[in-house]
Amino acid sequence: MIDVALVITAVAALLFVARMLRGPALADRVISVDGFVSAIVIGVTIASVRPGSGVVESTVLVVALGGFVGTAILARFIERRGS
Amino acid sequence: MDEVLDVIGGIALVLGASFALLAGIGVHKFRDPFSRMHAAAKSPTLGLVLVTIGAALRIRTFGAIATLTLVGILQLLTSPVGTHLAARAVHLRVKVPQDGVDELERDQSPELR
Repeated sequence: MIDVALVITAVAALLFVARMLRGPALADRVISVDGFVSAIVIGVTIASVRPGSGVVESTVLVVALGGFVGTAILARFIERRGS
Repeated sequence: MDEVLDVIGGIALVLGASFALLAGIGVHKFRDPFSRMHAAAKSPTLGLVLVTIGAALRIRTFGAIATLTLVGILQLLTSPVGTHLAARAVHLRVKVPQDGVDELERDQSPELR
């Protein structure tokens, strides 16, 4: 069941990456980076349940915080630089 | 009892992952950036909350449950803020074709002040 969830999350992350590569606007890339980070947080949380994966729950906290800071910085970047 | 909790936790994990998949499909299929943002912002948040509940049900130690609760609350607080920042920046800087009236631009137009 854990492996099924991990595969589903991986497919979702791949869809986000596809949108990130295709664009067309910078806005789409920023949005898909945001979604991609969410998918990674979900994936790390699922991996922390899997026995023998070596991932602890504290990792999830770090990844989630890092993702928020990343989105905020990207938003600042667009506001300063323009399209 | 333990097996029941494991099964419920597993179902929650798969459901949460499916919400992430829904977001991916939405980001792929919708046609303009704001619709895509709508898909990419909401469902992963619900998905992550479901996944943390599922993980807490499966791990069942005090430290893990505390950390995962913190993660869920943190995500519920930061995800809307991050998406709002991104949406505001995109609206300010990128010309996005929209159907209907752009209400933010209308409310901020100089003749109203």
